[in-house]
Amino acid sequence: MGFTLKVEGPSNIELGTISIIGVKFRTDIPHDSNARSTDMGSTVEITGKILTAVDGDPFDSTRQLGLWALVPAEKSDCYRKASIEVIAASQVVRKYTYPNAFVVDYKEQYGDTEGVGTFTLIIKQKKDKMAQVAVEGGYSI
Amino acid sequence: MGLRVKIEGSESINLPETSIMTVDFGADIPHDSNARSTDLGSTVLITGKILAAVDGEAADDTSKIARWSLVPAENSDCYRNVQIDVVNASQVVRQITVPNAFVIDYEEDFTDETGAGVFRLLIKQKKDKMVNLKFEGGFSGE
Repeated sequence: MGFTLKVEGPSNIELGTISIIGVKFRTDIPHDSNARSTDMGSTVEITGKILTAVDGDPFDSTRQLGLWALVPAEKSDCYRKASIEVIAASQVVRKYTYPNAFVVDYKEQYGDTEGVGTFTLIIKQKKDKMAQVAVEGGYSI
Repeated sequence: MGLRVKIEGSESINLPETSIMTVDFGADIPHDSNARSTDLGSTVLITGKILAAVDGEAADDTSKIARWSLVPAENSDCYRNVQIDVVNASQVVRQITVPNAFVIDYEEDFTDETGAGVFRLLIKQKKDKMVNLKFEGGFSGE
C-alpha cells in the first residue's frame, strides 16, 4: 500500500509513497455513552520517514511539518487543509479530507543505527467543523 | 469460521467472510453490583480487512462504515440495524441482530508493509432499546 499526504497552507507540503509508512484514521466518540453522542471528533496519525536528499535532489518537506506543528494558536495558519490518500492496486482505497486540520502531536526520532529518521504526525479536524470531513474511496486512480 | 456482517440503514453495507476477521460480543453489566443490575448494555467489536479492488470489481463497503462513524447524533441515520452471522459447518452458530446500533469507535489502520488495511468498529445497542437485541443461533443454514 502506498500513501500520499498533501497539506495546503502558506507552504504546500507534499509527501509521497516513498516517505509515508503508515496511516491510522480514527473517529473519536465517548465510549460510555448510552446513545449516540454529539461529542465526536476525528483524528489521523501519519508516520513516515525523514529522508536525506542525495544527488542534488530537493529536501523532502518533513521540516515544513515540524514548522506547522510549532505555529501558535493565535495565527490562522495553524489550521490547514490536509488530504491523505491510500493507494493499492491502482485504486484509491481511501481519501480523507480535513479542511481545517490542526496538529495535536508531532514527533521526530533519530538514531545512530538508522540512515533515516521517522516522524509521527497526529492531526485533528477542528471539532465544530466536523461536517466538512470527507471520507471517499473505492475508485481507480 | 465464517463471519458476515450486514448493516442496514440509509444504505446497505455487506461484508462477507473474506473481509471480517473477528467479532467480539459483550454484555456490559457493572462488575461492582451486589445483585442483578438494571444497567445493562451490549457492545460488539468487529475487526476486518480493507481490501483493494482488483480486476475491475466493485470496491468493498468499508468506506461506508467510515462515513457511518461520522454521521452526527442529530441525524437519525446514526442508528442502523446490524446483523452478524457466525457460520461454521453449514450451521449458523450465532446470529446476532443489533437493531439500533450506533458507532462508539472506529479506526482504520494502513501500513506500507501489508497489502490490505485493517478496520476496527465498535458498536453499541441504544441502551433503552436493549430488549430488541436478538441473540439467536444453533440452526442450520447455507
